[in-house]
Amino acid sequence: MEKVQISVPKPKAELESQYHEYWEEMPCYLSVHDRDFRIVDGNRRFREDFGERLGQYCYKVYKGRDDVCPNCPVEATFADGKNHPSEQLLTTMDGRDVPVMVHTTPITDDSGDVVAVMEMHTDIGEVKRLQTLLQRSQERLAQLFEEVPCFITVQGPDRVIQHANRKFRETFGDPIGQNCFKMYKHREEQCLVCPMQQTFDDGQAREHEEVLFTKDGEKLNALCTTAPLHNADGEVEAVIEMSFDITQIRELQSQLASIGLLVGSISHGIKGLLTGLDGGIYMVNSGFKKDKPERVEKGWEMVQRNVERIRSMVLDILYYAKDRELLVEEVDLAALVADFQEGIEKKASDADTEFEIQIADDTGLFPGDPQAIRAMLLNLLENSLDACRMDKDKNAHTIRLGIQRDPQWVVIEVEDNGYGMDQETREKIFSLFFSSKGIKGTGLGLFISNKIVDKHGGTIVVDSELGRGTRFEVRLPLVASPSIKSEEIVQ
Amino acid sequence: MSGARVLVVEDDPDIVDYLSFFLEDEGFEVATAGRCSVAQEMMDEYQPQVVLIDALLPGKSGLELLVWLRRDPRWCDLPLVVVTGNDQLLEDDCQSYLGAHEGVRGPDGVLGKPVDRATLLAVLEKLLDQTPVT
Repeated sequence: MEKVQISVPKPKAELESQYHEYWEEMPCYLSVHDRDFRIVDGNRRFREDFGERLGQYCYKVYKGRDDVCPNCPVEATFADGKNHPSEQLLTTMDGRDVPVMVHTTPITDDSGDVVAVMEMHTDIGEVKRLQTLLQRSQERLAQLFEEVPCFITVQGPDRVIQHANRKFRETFGDPIGQNCFKMYKHREEQCLVCPMQQTFDDGQAREHEEVLFTKDGEKLNALCTTAPLHNADGEVEAVIEMSFDITQIRELQSQLASIGLLVGSISHGIKGLLTGLDGGIYMVNSGFKKDKPERVEKGWEMVQRNVERIRSMVLDILYYAKDRELLVEEVDLAALVADFQEGIEKKASDADTEFEIQIADDTGLFPGDPQAIRAMLLNLLENSLDACRMDKDKNAHTIRLGIQRDPQWVVIEVEDNGYGMDQETREKIFSLFFSSKGIKGTGLGLFISNKIVDKHGGTIVVDSELGRGTRFEVRLPLVASPSIKSEEIVQ
Repeated sequence: MSGARVLVVEDDPDIVDYLSFFLEDEGFEVATAGRCSVAQEMMDEYQPQVVLIDALLPGKSGLELLVWLRRDPRWCDLPLVVVTGNDQLLEDDCQSYLGAHEGVRGPDGVLGKPVDRATLLAVLEKLLDQTPVT
C-alpha cells in the first residue's frame, strides 16, 4: 500500500468535515496508533465495540493484554513503512470475540517519517463461519465416501482411477494412477463391455453384475452401478462407480437352487423306483395267483433291484449332503475289490452280463479314502450294468474292471459294451443332477465319483460311443496329492 | 378291450416286463420297443391300435416319436399316450417341442409314473372306444 502523505496545506473546512464523516461511517474498526502503541484516534464502530479508549494501549484495548502482541503489525509498519495484513482475533468490551482481517497503513510527516500507523480491522466473522461450515461439510463428505460399505471409484475418461474409498483400497489395493480393469479384474486391457465407457458416451447411469478379483485373487460377485459426474459445462468429466459385494447372496442362491434341483431330482428318482417296486409287486402277486413261478421270480428280482437302487440313492444323497472330507489311509485296491466282487458278479449274472476282473500283481498300496474309492468304483460298475441291461442290440455283454500301476498312478479302467453315450451325454455326465437314465437316475452318482477322484488329486476320463459301449479311466496318484494333507494319512 | 394291440415304447426292461404282463393279463395284445427307431420299424407290421410312449428315451425322445407318428398320414389319428416321471418337465417340453412343430397335436393322454393301473386301463379303454376298430 502507498504511503499516505498528509499535505501541509490544510483542507478546507467542509472537505475536512466530509472526510471525517467517511472515517466515522466506515463499516470496520479504524484506529490510529502512535509509536508507543497508544490509540490516538478511533472511528464510530471502534468506539461502539471498544468504548472511549483514546490514549490506551492497543494491545490492552483490542486483546486485553498487558504487553505488546507477538508479530505486531503496527510495530512492523513503523519499522518498514509497509502494510502488514494479518488475521487477528479481537475481544470487544462486552467480551465478544471478533475475527478480523487487519491492514496497517503508515502515516508520515513532511519528511516522510512514519509518525503513526492506521489499523483497519474488517470483521470476517461471517466468512470464518462459512469457512468452518464448508470445511466440516467437506470432511463429512470425505468421511461418507471413505466409509460407505461398498467399493467406490471415480475414473477419468482415460479409465484411470482418480479416487477410491477405504473399502476399495483394503480389498483391491492402492489404485491411484491404475486402470479400473487392472484393479478390478487383473486385466491388461479394457473390458469388452465397459459400462463406464457407456456412461461416458451417453451420460446415462448403468447397472450391471460383474465378477471381480481382489488383490489376493479371491473371486467376488458384485453389483456395479456407474453414474456420470458433470463439469460446469454439463460435460461428463468423470464417472463414479459403486460396487456392492453380493457374493454371499449369489452363493445362497446357488445353494438354494441346488437344493431345489436335489429335491426335484430325488422325487423324480423316487417315482421311478416306485414304478419298479409297484411293477415287481404286481408280478409277484399275479404270478402267485396264476401259479407262474417264473413271473414271481422275475417280480421278486425287480423288487430286490429297486430296493438296492433306493439304498445307493440314499447313500448318494447323504454323500452329497455332507460333502465329507477324505479319511485317508493306505489302500489295498485288490482287497477292496475282492470285498464287493461277489455282489457285483451276482448282479452281472442276473443281467446276463459277464464280469471280468484284471488286477495287476504289483498294484500295491497307495494313499486314499477306501470308502470313497469303493463308492466311486461301485458307481461306475453299476452304471456299466445299467448300460448293458438297456442295450438290446448285442447278444452278449461284458464289463471289465482293470487295475494296474504306472510310475505315478494307479490306473483303474471300467469298460462295458453296453448302450454307450452320444456326445451330449458324454459331455454332461459329471454335471450335478444330469442323468441319462431317465427316471432311474438322480444325477448324483457320477458327480460324486468325479468329486471323489478330484479330492484324491486324480483324473477321470470317459470314452464312449452310442451303441458301442463306454470306458472310464480313473487315475489316482501313488503319492498323496498336495490336496491331501500329510497328517491326514493314517499310518 | 379284448385283443386290442398296444405298442409299449419303453427303455427300462423292468417296466417293459411289468407293463407287458399287466396288459396281457387285462386281455391286450402287447408288443414292446426299447427305442424310437425300433418302434418306427415295428409300426407297419404290428399295426398297433394305441401306443404307450415313455417320455424319456435314449437317443430320440418320446416326443420326437410322437411328432413322427403324427406327421405320418397312416398314424396321425392313432391314440398316443405319453408316460412320464416328471409332469412339469413334460408340460414344458411339450410346449417348447410341439411349439416348434406347428400343427402337431399333442398326446391323447399323459400318465405320471408310477403308473396307476386303473387309470391306465381307463385311459386305454376310452381311447380305443373312440377309435374305429381296424
